[in-house]
Amino acid sequence: MLNLLSDTVALSRLQFALTAIFHMLWPVLTTGMAIYLVIIEGLWLKTQDLDYYRHARFWSKLYVLNFGIGVASGLPMAFQFGLNWAPFSESVGDFFGTVLGFEGTMAFMLEASFLGIMLFGWDRVPPWVHWISTILVAFGANLSTFWILSANSWLQTPAGGEFVNGKFVVQDYFQAIANPFMVKSFLHMFFATLETSLFVIGGISAWYIINQRHTAFFARSLKVVLALAIAIAPLQIFIGHLSAEQVYHYQPAKLAAMEAQWDTVPAGQPADWSLVALPNDRAERNTWEVKIPGALSYLLELKPKLDQPIQGLKAWEPKNRPHMVGLIYYSFRIMVAIGLFLAALMFITTIQWLRGQLSAATIGQQKWLMGAWIFAAPLGYIAVETGWIVRCVGRQPWIVYGELRTLESASNLPAGEVLFSLVGLTSMYSVFFVMALYFGSRIVRKGPNLELPAPRTSSQTAMGLEPAQHGPDQRPAEAQQ
Amino acid sequence: MEPLQPLQQFLPQVWFCILGLFLFLYVLLDGFDLGVGILSLTASSEERRSILMTSLGNVWDANETWLILMGGSLFGAFPLAYATILNALYLPAVVMVVGLIFRAVSFEFRENADNKLVWNVLFGVGSFLAALGQGFSLGSVFEGIQVDAAGHFSGGIWDWLTWRSTLVALTLVQGYVLIGSTYLILKTSGELQKTHYRTATIATWTTLIGALFITVSTPFLSDQARAQLFTTPLIYIFGLIPVLGLLLVGLLLRSLKRQEEVTPLIYTFLIFCLSFIGLGFVIFPNIIPPSVTIYEAAAAPSSLVFMLTFIGFLIPVVLSYNIYNYVVFRGKIVDDTHGAS
Repeated sequence: MLNLLSDTVALSRLQFALTAIFHMLWPVLTTGMAIYLVIIEGLWLKTQDLDYYRHARFWSKLYVLNFGIGVASGLPMAFQFGLNWAPFSESVGDFFGTVLGFEGTMAFMLEASFLGIMLFGWDRVPPWVHWISTILVAFGANLSTFWILSANSWLQTPAGGEFVNGKFVVQDYFQAIANPFMVKSFLHMFFATLETSLFVIGGISAWYIINQRHTAFFARSLKVVLALAIAIAPLQIFIGHLSAEQVYHYQPAKLAAMEAQWDTVPAGQPADWSLVALPNDRAERNTWEVKIPGALSYLLELKPKLDQPIQGLKAWEPKNRPHMVGLIYYSFRIMVAIGLFLAALMFITTIQWLRGQLSAATIGQQKWLMGAWIFAAPLGYIAVETGWIVRCVGRQPWIVYGELRTLESASNLPAGEVLFSLVGLTSMYSVFFVMALYFGSRIVRKGPNLELPAPRTSSQTAMGLEPAQHGPDQRPAEAQQ
Repeated sequence: MEPLQPLQQFLPQVWFCILGLFLFLYVLLDGFDLGVGILSLTASSEERRSILMTSLGNVWDANETWLILMGGSLFGAFPLAYATILNALYLPAVVMVVGLIFRAVSFEFRENADNKLVWNVLFGVGSFLAALGQGFSLGSVFEGIQVDAAGHFSGGIWDWLTWRSTLVALTLVQGYVLIGSTYLILKTSGELQKTHYRTATIATWTTLIGALFITVSTPFLSDQARAQLFTTPLIYIFGLIPVLGLLLVGLLLRSLKRQEEVTPLIYTFLIFCLSFIGLGFVIFPNIIPPSVTIYEAAAAPSSLVFMLTFIGFLIPVVLSYNIYNYVVFRGKIVDDTHGAS
């Protein structure tokens, strides 16, 4: 413990991990929910049913709460590379910095600018302009996901240039952007944000239904969520599977850690899949474990026997392989279990839907099912966080896989200085996390305003030329009542 | 050092200008944002505070995003500068980030809270801390950062704290209050507007005093600045800036006295613009004063061209939709809490 407190690299890593884990919580919801808002607002424009409009207004209250904290907690991320990882920044800035610059200019600015119109512009622009603003917010948010995932994938599978004297020289930018991991990693994260926010919206809707508040209103949002989840939950499992295959090919040491596999399984043999294990890093073996014979070769290659060997962790020297094997191993299993659980929940709910059990009259009796949806609400977050732990802890000891070591990439700061910012950020984040839950639940307990009239501009064909006046606290109007 | 190719000279210069533009827009836009935040500490009632907050509601995200743009582009275009400057300014940068987090979070929490006091205070204090952190950062970059031969930071953790950086920090806070006040003059009416005519006048004087100290002391205290500025033809420009600046301050004070609504903000913008040009001339061609030039810190030319292709053509687009946002929400904020807004 004392070692940690005086170890700048360890403290910098801890700070990066904590700020990233905390930051992740908010954009995960807003990027996915933005797509949901586009759909629900589109449904309003198409059907002219005001309840869809009220849905858009209600959910955007949760949206803005999350967005604000997301922006705030993203700031340390934007500067931390320079603050704590100066040698890294200098070494890979030509590519990595370029991508972060793109993210800011192309994506983040778009999202932040149109957010104002999306939240407060209901009475100021015609509905179709508003809808376009919502679309641009959603597009900007997901474009951010793309750039961030491109940058992170490049850390996993660097491409498009080479390291010369410790500095990355780019030869082909497009190749670097479209590095081997990029497509599948982006899709995995894209669906992750969508799935997480769908189950949050579904869970909150289920809470109202179980409490017999606005049952018909929230049965509707639950069904929109379900209709999307039917496609997304299975797709996500499939893309997750493809991502694991990629790890198998490109980052065998990470795969070995994910499976707590210490010894190499040669080609032509079946590989067992470990169900539960107690990995012991020092002894280089699992203290005990439960295995399913032959299952891993099916999972990776759909064959009883392997075509390619699975290298065990012992194939690398300790300084060249990931540690904290237990963390990687269990994070991976938690993520997979959640993905499977959410898909199963979707499947059962769809059956109930087809049996006509989700109508406004009958949905209130589905107590167990609604309970399961409430239980599922936070699971997406846990899956995203554990997935990122596998991705980034499993990449160690490299910051750029196979090229640049984390140990050599930290700024040479006094440990006390990093400790100061680490303690400051951590305590601040803890307080804000609790407060965000409190205020979020307040918004939910208060509920939607079902008397909310259509926006003033919805009947007008053209935008008024008079500069409209806006009142104080022009949040969604129901917040003022 | 071998002579630079024209392209190796031109590209870093272009990026120096683009980053200058991003920083300028950030200081201008988040400047009034932070200024309004600091002024909100003095608001006499919750209704007034609500009006202040409303004037920021639709723009603060976008305004703060200019900082992210600046950070990302600096990282891409001048990786060495991004690494060294942030490394040197660890503490003020952390203070700034913490201040901006306080602000953003309390802005959202305040909307939902019954007891708004904590969040009001946190919002104002966060704005102040952010402004202070930025001021110290600006001040110490201006003063120079100690680096080794490779351009890596080699100074101590308190290097950023000097009497001159303190002066820059305090002046920047005053400047933000000034720009915040003139923005509120535009967006409010009645008693609230009158209050901000007063705060704007006071802030003009306090900013002026700070700016005068900085301008006068720069050539006296820095050999490099003296060598840079007292050569023709720069001496004319450097001579012109204070003269124009004083003229603009005079015009600003007159417009405040006449209680004009739009012109104070415009004059303040111009004063900021002029200070920025002055600052640019003192720092150029360095990016980590006093010794690392933009040519040494720049990314590879291919990188700069690649970034320029995508970011360069997007700048007008980004500017247009930012302007559109302001056009949609133009007009005064009136107290119609009871109306159906």
